[in-house]
Amino acid sequence: MEEQLKIDFEKKLKDFSYSDQEKKFKETNFKEFLKQGFPNRKLENWKFSDLNQIIKNNIGELTFYNDYKKENQIDKIELIRELEHNRIIIVDGKIEKIDFKFEEKDKIEVLDEQGEETIKENINSLINLNNAFSNKFCKIIIKKNYSLKKPLVIYHSTNKNTQSKNTNSRIDFKLEENACLRIIDIFKDNSEKNFLNIYYNFELDKSSILKNYKIDKSINNNVKYSYNNVKQQANSISETFILSSGSKFFKNEINCDLLGQHSSAFVNGIFDLDDENHHEIKSNINHLVENTKSYQLVKSVLEKKSKAVYQGKIFVSSEAQKTDGYQLSNAILLSENSEFNAKPELEIYADDVKCSHGSSSGSLDENSIFYLMSRGLNYKEAKKLLINGFLLDVIEKITDEEIKNLIKDLLGVKE
Amino acid sequence: MLKINNLSAKIDNKSILQDFKLEINPGEVHAIMGPNGSGKSTLSNILSGKKGYDVTGEVLFENKDLFSLETEERAHKGIFLAFQYPLEIPGVNTNVFLKTSLNAIKKARGEKELDAIQFLKLVKEKAKELKFDEEKLGRQLNVGFSGGEKKKNEILQMSILNPKLSILDETDSGLDIDALKTVAEGVNALRKKNNSFLIITHYQRLLEYIKPDFVHVLMNGKIIKSGGPELALELEKKGYENIN
Repeated sequence: MEEQLKIDFEKKLKDFSYSDQEKKFKETNFKEFLKQGFPNRKLENWKFSDLNQIIKNNIGELTFYNDYKKENQIDKIELIRELEHNRIIIVDGKIEKIDFKFEEKDKIEVLDEQGEETIKENINSLINLNNAFSNKFCKIIIKKNYSLKKPLVIYHSTNKNTQSKNTNSRIDFKLEENACLRIIDIFKDNSEKNFLNIYYNFELDKSSILKNYKIDKSINNNVKYSYNNVKQQANSISETFILSSGSKFFKNEINCDLLGQHSSAFVNGIFDLDDENHHEIKSNINHLVENTKSYQLVKSVLEKKSKAVYQGKIFVSSEAQKTDGYQLSNAILLSENSEFNAKPELEIYADDVKCSHGSSSGSLDENSIFYLMSRGLNYKEAKKLLINGFLLDVIEKITDEEIKNLIKDLLGVKE
Repeated sequence: MLKINNLSAKIDNKSILQDFKLEINPGEVHAIMGPNGSGKSTLSNILSGKKGYDVTGEVLFENKDLFSLETEERAHKGIFLAFQYPLEIPGVNTNVFLKTSLNAIKKARGEKELDAIQFLKLVKEKAKELKFDEEKLGRQLNVGFSGGEKKKNEILQMSILNPKLSILDETDSGLDIDALKTVAEGVNALRKKNNSFLIITHYQRLLEYIKPDFVHVLMNGKIIKSGGPELALELEKKGYENIN
């Protein structure tokens, strides 16, 4: 693979007119990736999955270069009809369209120059890979006091026979003071056997609000990794909701640095898995100053041989007194062969904090099924009603009504 | 309506019911009284289709073999069990559940399903009759309900579903005297020419308000004595040990 990587990286550098700074940035990241390779079980974060193996079994040999000369199917992408929205369309890792048609033009700025501050970051080898191979830099700035009227939907799509087996995309966002942005990530996989690597970098200034809903619902044979890096100033709020379901493998990592007092982070999610799908959520909530709050709730419904992993970390630094950190995960295993792994990690260096965690897993309660069936529901209906009931409280955590209803529709939860 | 012939039931090879016989005709109210562990709840579980019992014998409901029917099919045919311990179902709204249940039964019978407005009208009316707090209908099913409220909810379900045969499994336990009266009124309101009841209880108390046509004494899985309402009074005086 190393040969392929080097060839593809050379082609990449030649094709795009990167500035010297960008070139250097890419080269540094590329070297780092070569050194580290794909993550494996030796890393605590990847204890439950060997990405090399997953790629080998589901994709085979990876290729990394795409000249984007092939006509993409951007016009064929089925857009969400249920709600009006701004959109970014990414095809094979390349941002093909940015359209904020519902917004005031001077309130949103799109930059293609990378700032100094993000250049030195070294998060993990997959981010190195992303930085080496992602296309033109893109940063979206939401101006002070501006709340977007409509949500921004980011479509992640792949062409049917995409040239490269691995695609990388990165978007940076800055929400200025008191700005508000809602993002919905939707996956439109037209290809099979691809590895999608997605990286978002968020800077939340004072009192800004970010809501990110990641919806992986349609069934596909791709392997995905997504990393959200969120840096939060005072009084800012980040809300992340992950509906993890359709892909063969999907690992979502959410890193929140609570840097300002009274900032808060919410990470909620549902694993709704079937067949042999394997999905993970890894969160790192870093409470770094006083009076910050985090809340995490993850619910799983696991069929057949599916496997879900939730590793929720709450880190509380010695300065972060009065931290309020909470995490809970519950799983229903619908088959003897399904598997749920929860690994709560609490690392606390302050003494005046409130932190708790809990996890449970079990099968559907047969007595409850009998109760519902004795009222005329068949087994399937009874099971569905119980599962919907089980998922309801995490769905209710979604603070955006429009998006909550969209997700309820997708899950078939009716009231 | 219901014919039970030589019904025997075992659970993990332990015999619970033995050669149990009972016939209930349309419009009749039967009470089964018995001490703890006599097989009362097993009987109601078997009639409503709970799994986990090895049974022999025959049960006919309107001349159809009951054992050939799934739990939900029994509900569709008009059998209702008011649970001794109604279950809490988190995340499921009581109203939604009631409507789903009623419409599942109507659909199976080929009747027209109720829309939201028709349903709400019906449920409000029934809740009022049973003095059931309407606000609770918007809550999760039985979650946070008191014991009495759960039992009332069972009777509310019964009155909405209007079954042919209602089995009340110790519905009186956990009820205060006012709730007991309300529940009894609810049952009495459903007493019609074609609706039958099987009331399972420890105590004679409930039978003061719901007058049974027949009383049976169940001991060690067998009916040892049957009679009219006076048998309940006799039991109350003598206790189960001295009846024969």
